[in-house]
Amino acid sequence: MIFQKTKGIHIDGRKSMSKNLPLQEYFNPEFVYIHLVKPIGPIKSVVEIGDEVKAGQTIAVREGFGEMNVHSSISGTVTGIKKVWHSSGKMIEALEIKNDFKNTLDDSIKPNRNIESLTREELCVMMKDSGLVGLGGAGFPTYIKYQTKVKIDTVIINAVECEPYLTCDYSFILSYPEKLLKGLSYFMRAADAQKGVIVFKNYNKKIREVLKGFLPKYKNIELYEVKDVYPAGWEKYIIERITGKTYTQLPSEIGVIENNSTTAIVFSDIVEQNIPLISKPITITGEGINKPTNFYVPIGTKVSELVAKCGGYTTNLEPKKANYIAGGPMTGRAIFIDDLIVNDTLGAVIVKPLIEGLHPECLGCGQCADVCPVYLTPTEIKKAFESKDIPLIKQLNAMKCVQCGLCSYVCPSHVEISDSVIRAKELLRKGAK
Amino acid sequence: MARFAGGKAPFLRIADNKNHGTGIIMRDFLIGLLPVILFAWYKNGILVYTQGNINVWEMFYPLFFILMGGIISFVMEAIAFYMMGAKDKESLMVKLKTSYGVIPGLILALMLPMYTPIWVLMFGCFVANIIGKLLFGGFGHNVFNPALLGYAAIKFGLMGVINSAGGYFNASEVLIDAYAGATPLAMLSVNKVLTYNAVVAPFGNLWDFFLGLTPGGVGETSVLLILISYIWLSARKVIKWYTPLVYVGAVFGLSWIVGAMNGQSNIWFPLYSIFTGGVMFGAVFMITEPVTTPKNPLGKVVFALLLASLTILFRFVGSLPEGVGTSLIVLNIFALPIDKYTSIIRAHRWKKPALLQICILFGILLVLTIYAVTKAGSLYSLYLPIFNLGGIF
Repeated sequence: MIFQKTKGIHIDGRKSMSKNLPLQEYFNPEFVYIHLVKPIGPIKSVVEIGDEVKAGQTIAVREGFGEMNVHSSISGTVTGIKKVWHSSGKMIEALEIKNDFKNTLDDSIKPNRNIESLTREELCVMMKDSGLVGLGGAGFPTYIKYQTKVKIDTVIINAVECEPYLTCDYSFILSYPEKLLKGLSYFMRAADAQKGVIVFKNYNKKIREVLKGFLPKYKNIELYEVKDVYPAGWEKYIIERITGKTYTQLPSEIGVIENNSTTAIVFSDIVEQNIPLISKPITITGEGINKPTNFYVPIGTKVSELVAKCGGYTTNLEPKKANYIAGGPMTGRAIFIDDLIVNDTLGAVIVKPLIEGLHPECLGCGQCADVCPVYLTPTEIKKAFESKDIPLIKQLNAMKCVQCGLCSYVCPSHVEISDSVIRAKELLRKGAK
Repeated sequence: MARFAGGKAPFLRIADNKNHGTGIIMRDFLIGLLPVILFAWYKNGILVYTQGNINVWEMFYPLFFILMGGIISFVMEAIAFYMMGAKDKESLMVKLKTSYGVIPGLILALMLPMYTPIWVLMFGCFVANIIGKLLFGGFGHNVFNPALLGYAAIKFGLMGVINSAGGYFNASEVLIDAYAGATPLAMLSVNKVLTYNAVVAPFGNLWDFFLGLTPGGVGETSVLLILISYIWLSARKVIKWYTPLVYVGAVFGLSWIVGAMNGQSNIWFPLYSIFTGGVMFGAVFMITEPVTTPKNPLGKVVFALLLASLTILFRFVGSLPEGVGTSLIVLNIFALPIDKYTSIIRAHRWKKPALLQICILFGILLVLTIYAVTKAGSLYSLYLPIFNLGGIF
C-alpha cells in the first residue's frame, strides 16, 4: 500500500495446447494482403496494380514521422487493392499479391560481408529500411527507440510472453536460439550498450538450456528469470526487476531499451542477410481449434488457411457462441468474421467458446483495485467516467492504465470494468484537446 | 466464412469459472456465519437445556430464530420483486439469484436478543431488505449496511418490546443474580468507578468473554467462534484479512490509552473493550461488507482507523455505550469520499499531486482520534457498557 512496486498475479497460462509443438513453416500462401497502415499511421503504396514484385521488394513507404519501408512478403503479381480485416478490428485497404510460387528474392537480399564494421547509424538505417517494428504487439518502429540521444547502457530482450495461450515467441526462440543472441548483440551495438539481458519466465527452463551453449561467445549477455505472473511481460515490470529503477514515460530515461525476442531474431536476419521484415511467427490456438499450432508465415497470409492447416474448428464449435480473438486473450480484440490477415502486430489467433452465465452487479469487493499493477482504483474511474467528470478522471490518474485487463479478469461479477477505464482514457484525451 | 460473437477484452474471466464468482463469495460468507450460528444454538439452546431450564422443543428455538431471520428476509425480497414487476417465475428467479436476500436477515437475527418477538424480527427485516437495500436500487447500490439499518430501527424504536419479552438473558442467565439483579449496577452508581471487579467480575472472567458465555445478542458474544469465522473468510478471500485486524487493533490501542487516563492501565480493560459490545462481530461481519465500505485497500485501512476513532468517541464520550453500530452507520455515508480520496492518493503513489487529499484525510483522522481520546480522559460514561451488554449500538 505504501511501498508501491509494480506487481502481477498468477494466471492459468493454458499454453500446453501448442507449447511443445515445433514451429511449422508455411511459406507459400496463394495470396498475401499487405495492409496499407501501420500502428503509427497510414502508409503509401509505391507499386501499381499488375506489377511484378519479388520477395523483399519495397512496395509501400511511410512518410513523415516514423518513416520506413514496407516489403512484399512473397514474389508474384500485385492484383489489386482490397479492404480486408485488420487485427485492430477494422476493415483496412491492403495490397493483394498473387503468389507465382517461384520465390524469387529481391536483389538487395544477400549476405552482409562487413558486419563487424557497421556503425550505430548504419544499423539504425537498416532497421528503418527493412521496416522493423516491435513484434510484441505494439508495432512501434524500432529505429526510433535507437535514435535516442540518451546514453543507453542496457538492452533488454523480452521473451516473457506473459499472455495466456501464446507460445509463438517461445517456439521461435527454441527454433533460432543463436539468432536471438546475435540479434541482441547487434541491438547492443546499435545502442552502444554495455549489457544485454534476456528475460523469460521461470518455468521456461528450456530457453536457458538452448541458450547456454552459445552464451560463452557473447560475453556481456545475461539471462534473467521472472515469476509466472501476469503482466510480467510489461516493460516497466521487467525493467523495475532488473535495474531496480523506475521511469515515467520511456525506458530510455534510465538508459534502457527493451525489445521483443521475435524482433531480435528478425533483426539478426536483417543485419546478416538483409532480409527485411517479411515473415513472423504466429500461434493459432484455443479450445475451438482442432490441432493448435505455431506457424512461421509471411506477413499477409490469410488466417483461415492456417486454421485449415490446424484441422479447422472443432466439430462442436458454434461460431455464434465463440470468440475469434486477434491477439492475446487479455488484450486482444474479438473479430466478427474469421477473415483475418496476419499483420506485424498479430501474435496469435485464439478461437474459444464463449461462457455464458448469470452475473450480479458489482458488489464492491475491490479485487480490481487490489490487482491493478499501477495502483489505480478502476471502480472509481468507472464512476467518474459514467458521470463524465473529466477533472476527476485526471485526478484518478487514469492515463497510467496499461490496459492489461486484469481488473476485468478478476471481477467476480463479470463487470466490463477495464473497458470503462479505457473509454475514460479516451474521454480524457478528447477532453484535453 | 463464419460469423463469430463479439465481446470485450479480456476474454478470460475468473467469473467464467464455476468455482469463482460472486455467488461463490456469498456461499463462502454463509459458511463463515455457520460457526457463529452453531455457537448461538449451543449457548442459548443446548447449554440451557442441559442445565434443565428449558424443554427439548425450546432447545431448538435459537436455531429456528436465526433461520427465521434468513427466511423472512428472503421471502420479503421475493414479494417486493413480485410487486415491482417481476411477475413471471423466470425473471423472479434471476432477480433473487443475484440479490442474495438471505444474508441481511441472518446477520440481523444474530445481533438481536434471542427472545425478540418474531414480528419485531420481521419489522427489522423489512427495514433492512426493503428500505435499506431495494429502495436504494438493490444489491450493490445500498449506502447503508442493510442489516445494521434494520437493527438501528429496532434498537431505537422497539427495544422496550424486546426487554419486556425477555431481553438479553436466556433462560439460564435470568437465574443468575449477578446478571439480572441490581448488584453491579447499584455498585457502580454508588462508587462510579471503573474497576475489574465492577465491570468484569459479575460475568466471570475475561476467558468467559472470550468464549462468549456472557449475555448478549444471539450470535455476537463469542470472540473465539468469530475468530474461526475470520480465519475461514480471510482464507477464502471473502473479506480482506487486514480490515478487521486494523480496526480491532486500533480499538484495542485507543481503549488502552483511555483506560490508562482513567486509572486503569492494566491490559484487562482494552481486552474487555474489544470482547464486548460487538466489536469483534462488527469487525468481521460488518465493516468488511463490500458494498458499503471503500473498495481499495488503502481506503479500507483508512475506513477502519476512522471507524475505530468514532467507536471510541461514541462509546466513551457519547451516550451510545456500544458504539460499533452507530459509528459504522455514520461512516457508511462517508465511504464514498473516503474511497475517492484514497484512490487519488494511491494513483499518485503518495506523491505531490495528491497532497491535498492526504492532508484532508489524515488531518481528519488525527483530529478525530485526539479529540476522542482527550475527551474520554475523565469520563463518567466510561462504565456505561455494563448497562447495556448486548447489541452493537
